[in-house]
Amino acid sequence: MDSIPQELIDTIIDNVPESNLPSCSLVAKRWRRKSQRRVLRTILFKSEDKVKRWCTDIPRDSDGISSYVRHVDIEEIYSWVEPALFSRMLGSLSSLTALSILATQIPDELPGHISRGEFGKGITTLDICIPYCTFATLTSTILSLPDLEELCVGDCEAVPEGPLPTYSVTPQRGPLDFLELYGRVDGIGETLARFRFTSSHLSLDVGITDIEQLLLLSSETVVELYLCGAWSLDPQTEQG
Amino acid sequence: MTDLPDRSADGTPPPIRLLSLPVVTTLVIEIYAVDPLPHLTKILFSIDSAPALSSIVIEHDNWESTERLCLGDPWVDVDRWLSRIAKYTKVMGGLLLTLGQWPEGELVWEGFLSEFRESGGRIKVDDSR
Repeated sequence: MDSIPQELIDTIIDNVPESNLPSCSLVAKRWRRKSQRRVLRTILFKSEDKVKRWCTDIPRDSDGISSYVRHVDIEEIYSWVEPALFSRMLGSLSSLTALSILATQIPDELPGHISRGEFGKGITTLDICIPYCTFATLTSTILSLPDLEELCVGDCEAVPEGPLPTYSVTPQRGPLDFLELYGRVDGIGETLARFRFTSSHLSLDVGITDIEQLLLLSSETVVELYLCGAWSLDPQTEQG
Repeated sequence: MTDLPDRSADGTPPPIRLLSLPVVTTLVIEIYAVDPLPHLTKILFSIDSAPALSSIVIEHDNWESTERLCLGDPWVDVDRWLSRIAKYTKVMGGLLLTLGQWPEGELVWEGFLSEFRESGGRIKVDDSR
């Protein structure tokens, strides 16, 4: 086993079905790291208890297994008993590049942690659908991520209330590579417009309320425009 | 150059201003109903100029087998808009419109998008479903 080059082991592991990766990680020490990297590349949390166990059981080590995680999905944690767990979990993932939040509460303190640079650098892709939070927390979370390149936001119940967020945004921020807004996203487009979030690839639900502002904002940069059919509109009403 | 649609049956306010999209090369429009919704037509008419546009795809999502295309007002409006964009494109070879996931039997070639074709636009049908 020792005579097999590491590159060959890595190639084998790259081609093993995901269901066999846990077994691969037990073959030998030289198999473990690469197998664990693939297994942990994307992780899913569907309960606060799972997040708590991750924070408790996994050591926060810049070269350890927490650094293998690139993509986190957080789903259906409608309300946190300990909101700080969200930040602790994200803070433990030093190589995170993509974050998906589905039907989950975003704690109010999250954007503050990101803005202070405690974590969030390196996250290039953010996907938020049915967030449970205030409008200010939602937009502040989006705006505070300094390296964001791809953003997808859909079906938000939160609507603008009170003053818009005041967290600072990198003035030299370049345009996003991809921006998608769908379903009910009242006020999101206008807020992104205020902070000069433009994009070269724009995917918009034609039913969103501030589509014209977004098109206007992106008019100089948009190369590919995708207009999808008004998910939030009732075709019967429209055609009547 | 700008000719907004005469009809305002949907009652929605006009676009806030007319847009120029100088670098857009591709526009993909996904529609659910057989005809484009008035809201979509309004957005299209807010795009006043797109000189680099070379490809437009109109794609039906989930076209039911019982639905039949009707060359009514919404398509007349879309035809007028397409015609205007095709006339002013600066792209070599002109503007190509692809009708995606479009049953072949639902095309009436003599009348369908005639202004667009007279303005130099080309139509390709992709009926793979």
